[in-house]
Amino acid sequence: MSVNAPVRVEVVGLSRRFVHRVKGEVYAARDVTLDVAPGEFLTLLGPSGCGKTTTLRMIAGFEKPDAGRVRFSGEDVTFLPANQRNIGFVFQNYALFPHLSVAENVSYGLEMRKVAAAEIATRVSEVLKLVGLAGYEQQFSSQLSGGEQQRVALARAIVIQPRVLLFDEPLSNLDAKLRVQMRHEIRELQQRLGITTIYVTHDQEEAMAVSDRIVVMSQGSVLAQGSALDLYHRPGSEFVARFIGRVNLVAARVVEAKGGTARVEALGAVMEVVAVGAVKAGDEVRLVLRPEALEVVRGEGTRHWTAKVTSRVFLGEKIEYRLDVAGTSLLVVRYNAGPAETLEEGSTVGLRVIEDAASLLPKEDA
Amino acid sequence: MIPRPRDPAVAVTVLVLWGLLGLFILYPLGMMMFRVLSDGQGGYTLEGLAKLLTDKHHLRAFWNSLLLAALVGSIGTVIGFLFAFTAARAKLPAWLLTVIDAAVLLPLVSPPFTTAIAMIFSFGPRGLITYELLGMKGVTVYGLTSTMFSEVLTYFPIAYLTLRPILAAIDSNIEGMAMSLGASRWKVFTTVTLPLCVPGLANAFLLLFAASLADFATPLILAGNVFPVLPTQAYLQITGLFDLRGGAALSLSLLFPALAVFLLQRYWVGRRFYVTVTGKGAGQAPFDSISPVTRAVLLSLCAAVTVVIVYFYALLLYASLVMAFGANHTLTLMHYKVVFTEGLRAIRDTLIIAVIAMPLGGIYGLLLGYLVAKKEFPGRRAMEMVSMINYALPGTIVGIAYLIAFNDPPIVLTGTAAIIIACYIFRYGPTGIRATIALLSQIDKSLEEASTGLGAGSGTTFRRITLPLVLPAFFAGLGVVFIRSMTAISATIFLVSLSWTLVTVKILENMTELSLGPAAAFSVLVVAIVFVVVGLISWVLRFFRGRGMPAMSLLGG
Repeated sequence: MSVNAPVRVEVVGLSRRFVHRVKGEVYAARDVTLDVAPGEFLTLLGPSGCGKTTTLRMIAGFEKPDAGRVRFSGEDVTFLPANQRNIGFVFQNYALFPHLSVAENVSYGLEMRKVAAAEIATRVSEVLKLVGLAGYEQQFSSQLSGGEQQRVALARAIVIQPRVLLFDEPLSNLDAKLRVQMRHEIRELQQRLGITTIYVTHDQEEAMAVSDRIVVMSQGSVLAQGSALDLYHRPGSEFVARFIGRVNLVAARVVEAKGGTARVEALGAVMEVVAVGAVKAGDEVRLVLRPEALEVVRGEGTRHWTAKVTSRVFLGEKIEYRLDVAGTSLLVVRYNAGPAETLEEGSTVGLRVIEDAASLLPKEDA
Repeated sequence: MIPRPRDPAVAVTVLVLWGLLGLFILYPLGMMMFRVLSDGQGGYTLEGLAKLLTDKHHLRAFWNSLLLAALVGSIGTVIGFLFAFTAARAKLPAWLLTVIDAAVLLPLVSPPFTTAIAMIFSFGPRGLITYELLGMKGVTVYGLTSTMFSEVLTYFPIAYLTLRPILAAIDSNIEGMAMSLGASRWKVFTTVTLPLCVPGLANAFLLLFAASLADFATPLILAGNVFPVLPTQAYLQITGLFDLRGGAALSLSLLFPALAVFLLQRYWVGRRFYVTVTGKGAGQAPFDSISPVTRAVLLSLCAAVTVVIVYFYALLLYASLVMAFGANHTLTLMHYKVVFTEGLRAIRDTLIIAVIAMPLGGIYGLLLGYLVAKKEFPGRRAMEMVSMINYALPGTIVGIAYLIAFNDPPIVLTGTAAIIIACYIFRYGPTGIRATIALLSQIDKSLEEASTGLGAGSGTTFRRITLPLVLPAFFAGLGVVFIRSMTAISATIFLVSLSWTLVTVKILENMTELSLGPAAAFSVLVVAIVFVVVGLISWVLRFFRGRGMPAMSLLGG
């Protein structure tokens, strides 16, 4: 399938207000600014009601912003109707036309573009092959499984060679296994086609699996953005730390700060971690410890804390423990290394903080 | 929010529709009120009205009407629920469900007085049961009991059609849950199933109440002098005493109970429907909610009612095929000969009117429903309300209002086919409006957005996506207008003329002249025509369903 030059999507100060019955005027999206590089896979991530879908729909042209601009490769499309933007949109409920067959659904956008019948036939069969639905041409959506409907929706969106691909929680109606499989397929397809893509989801794992970059949104605003790796390891705020992955936040005090690292004291132990932003000795901070940043020490070796195992959840390839350190409960995840390595509830073990996997947050979120 | 761009096509359509609504709904009603309240010298008075309404005879008719409606509403709802519950829970084989549906459909698509005629054949002075079997002489079939019996048989299918989808929509897991918590089947029924049906039961009762209140033909045939009701009194006031104003006033007194029922149904019952469809659950196998004994009892009760219906229609068919029912039972086709010679003009007129009203009513329903459901314009709610008026009002009122309004300039339509056609369009088109609105509300707006996103303009989206999706509603609306055009009488009996007459009116004439044979033959003919058309339209609707469309019942909505 031939592909046009990828498009850069710029969103500048996009806002949309509505009047809430109780709260009065509220922002569905507030001053959202994004710069999506050509061919980039960007994900808007956030809890429901955070404004991610509204933002996506304004980029698509389904809703008009109260303020702000949307540009595709420099062209201002803010008030261009959706049917002139050349976008591919995949809806949460797929929105397949129930009275049209799979082939008719997929060819719909091509007919709108007045593509010759012969070319339509070739392109439809090509794209159906691409999404693994060759032979389904004459089926109707009511005869398809959820995953198949999802693929038709995908085929319908990409067959028109859109400038931008937009996904609105496309996998939330699928079961867990299929969700994992489809997100790989979507990612692979996007890489192959190189179409600039904006993807909305509330599932942080899905976001990390598909995206080049993640934009975390909350209450209509952009809270943080970066690669999955960055956001996971240097969350920068408690909201991001809690929303992406799981986390232990432990109160700590800076003992000494110098050259990007800080020595902090937490639960009676002192450790050296990377400091984000300016911290100085005496500051009250919080230590960000991911569940895998804590190492269980059973024999000799450096240990920061002594902990008591209070509960254990066996998950097959990994085991989750709750450990108590001087009254603070910590979540620790270990890979299953065999029955002998499994910790018993009630036993006492040592804990070591893997220092370069830890980071700091200010005491209160700004 | 940025205002939508104004669409001139929408504006023009809205204006045209308002013009039609004004002319054929508001204007006749206004003229009728004026006629009733005017004192003839440019002033207004309530005197005549008051005198009429405090008349002992009329007052009795008013209370009789309410009593009859309440009885028909209660008994009809119970029978309707019995059928709906059996159909939804007794795990009947498909063929048995089809039999029940067909039997229930019979009274629904027949002229409203068909069962009344059959009552006479069965229980009249020369009735099959009273005279032939029991040998009773001089029995009188007229009065409350037979009128009620006949109306219950005619209208209980409405309750069945209202309640069945509600019972089917109750998530069977909810009932299963109650059972797992230790409730017996009877407890599950009384504490879960029945309470969830209460809004549906109330709705069914109100629908039947209104249908009985407005029914004109059944009491005209069966109520007799001993049990006068308002619609027949109004009719006799006009045709017997040539008192148009008095008849109008009498029929207007039906307005208050009718209006109360309509408002209750829309604003009280309408808000109390429980949504139990929770994604999964619908479409699951119904849980084992009745015991074998209960199932047998339910089935025999339904069978008994079904047998009565089938018996009535068989009797009607038989009466149309013998020389003189109750006296000479020699088989003959002479009644049909009468139908196709003397009666041919009535048949032709009825068919012409029905065939013209059908597409117009269908388009009217589709257009108004689409505008009200999908477009923003001032007076949108008002338009929906006004469009429902002639549908909600008893036919007697609508007929008298048309008679008063279109008899004198500026608009004279009396004696034309147009007045009957207009009456049908605005009285039965609302079924199409409701079906369109209901269907559009099921169509997620993302479908239209998907079309727009793929590059289609609003016109193309309407033509290629929305229109095909609401076509089932169009055909349903179309079907109802046709059926009612073939079978209605309460409004149009005031509108027929020497140049344009109707089969239903002809049947009634035959009944009053005691030409029972031709009356039976006419009835059989109408039922046959309607059944063929219903079959055709159901076939068209099935074709849509085959293509993954939402199911659409012909008589729902």
